[in-house]
Amino acid sequence: MTRNSATVSLPNAPSIQWFLPLIWVALLAMCIVGMPLLEGLFRWVEPDARQVVYDRAAFYELLGRHVLVVGVAAVVTIAVGVAAGIAVTRERGRDFLPLVGQLASLGQTFPPVAVLALAVPVLGFGTLPIIVALILYGLLPIVRNTLAGINDVDATIKEAAQAMGMTPWQVLRHVELPLAAPVILAGVRTSVTINIATAALGATVGASNLGDPIIAGIVNGNMAYVLQGALLIALLALSADSAFNVYQQRLRQRLSAS
Amino acid sequence: MIELSHVSKQFGDDTAVEDITLRVAKGKFCALVGTSGCGKSTTLRMINRLIEHSSGDIILDGQAIEQYDPVKLRRRIGYVIQSTGLFPHWNVARNIGLVPRLLKWPATEITARVEELMGVLGLPVGEFAHKYPHQLSGGQAQRVGVARALAADPDILLMDEPFGALDPITREKLQDELAKLQARLHKTIVFVTHDMDEALKLADHLVVMRDGRIVQQGTPLALLQRPADPFVESLLGGLERGLKQAALTRVKDHMTSLGPTLPAQSRIPADFSLRQALSMMLRDHCDRLTVVDQGDVPIGELSLRRIVKEAQLDKVSQRDA
Repeated sequence: MTRNSATVSLPNAPSIQWFLPLIWVALLAMCIVGMPLLEGLFRWVEPDARQVVYDRAAFYELLGRHVLVVGVAAVVTIAVGVAAGIAVTRERGRDFLPLVGQLASLGQTFPPVAVLALAVPVLGFGTLPIIVALILYGLLPIVRNTLAGINDVDATIKEAAQAMGMTPWQVLRHVELPLAAPVILAGVRTSVTINIATAALGATVGASNLGDPIIAGIVNGNMAYVLQGALLIALLALSADSAFNVYQQRLRQRLSAS
Repeated sequence: MIELSHVSKQFGDDTAVEDITLRVAKGKFCALVGTSGCGKSTTLRMINRLIEHSSGDIILDGQAIEQYDPVKLRRRIGYVIQSTGLFPHWNVARNIGLVPRLLKWPATEITARVEELMGVLGLPVGEFAHKYPHQLSGGQAQRVGVARALAADPDILLMDEPFGALDPITREKLQDELAKLQARLHKTIVFVTHDMDEALKLADHLVVMRDGRIVQQGTPLALLQRPADPFVESLLGGLERGLKQAALTRVKDHMTSLGPTLPAQSRIPADFSLRQALSMMLRDHCDRLTVVDQGDVPIGELSLRRIVKEAQLDKVSQRDA
């Protein structure tokens, strides 16, 4: 811990911090709108194909559904993951800590493709199976980071909070969660970024999203389609990741040297 | 008032504290002294129920502590620890105002109380209120820690080696300030330390612990005069004991009225300690000092021969002190 009154400065330049995420979002928007303009480039990749720019659905629709699937999965994953992480770090839940850790690991080691295959017979084709697969796949980073974040809170600070007469709920709400927030957020960042890429698999079970051009491209042997889907997914992932990064930096700054 | 009678604490098969009986009267300063692992911190933490005792009774203001709601109990007991335990994500003002906020004081009262305490502890509001703990020096952080403990004006203060991590100069300064504060506020304080000099300086009642048991308790002077065993004696500084005892005595208690003889060359203020007087005699190669009041007016005389004689008499007369 540094105790130096000279390190007071809190670099507060939101406009600069948001520069990178905005660039990625702008690039993404440009590609969504202007993909047909790149026809020449894709023609060079696939000179023999009849069609080189994917047009079975508008890119903005695919993007919207992609974001929706990842968003719904993220909300559920965060709720379940953080709740589980909190529960097993309470005194009463300690016994379940290894179990929850292993379950979360299992969720991630189980390949999402297999989850999809198993889920379709139960849940039918469409959006639902891919959301389930993403939830299972995204749980581990969040659970693990919630556990790490909460366990890393200085024990003497927690004890002081208790000794001042805070209730366990107040200690959690005002001490543990705020101090663990940057680490938990890092877990959310990993989970969401990975799931943006993984969600493309949804295209194989009829959940139409940015994975559609990729699957169509593979089926038809059209690399231009694959490139278009991959490009958009990568830009979406980069946008989300850099936005999380900014938010994380700000949290860290607020807690700097703690 | 805090009363512990026959209190023990077992962790599994280990006995951390065994059969402690201890009484801290209202407004008194009690220091628990011992080497690390002797159970002094455990004893302290049983008082605010951070650790539940295994057997015996702990009674606070006439009521057994099991009968208090632990959360409410802790809100009326100030607590200061070595590592300060300040919340790193809260600024100084918010940290100090923690317990009043838990007690749902009106916001204006909290602000007023925080500013009052910052004044008392020498932390200018304008400079410190909005600083974060990592921006403070060790001494400043511990001042905030003490202010936080005092915020809701508790009767009881528990302090677990509060100055242990500070450099010697800062430590001494904070000790002096705590002594002054206590002279004004008269809190009931239980203070854990392994620093015997700190305990001798601050405490009204000294409790020496070893291996979870109380070896000896009494006033600092009583312990210095008659340590119960070689362990207590070594804690008290062995051969240095005489000087430590002298440090607890004021010059004015040993001076004689100005006699017909010429006043001595060296002067010493009446409220200095006997230890400082002895040191001055050694330095100035003399066996007599002129005692002066605050206005530097001679009011008496201190002679080495008398001090030595009185020390012998003290041994007899203060046996029941």
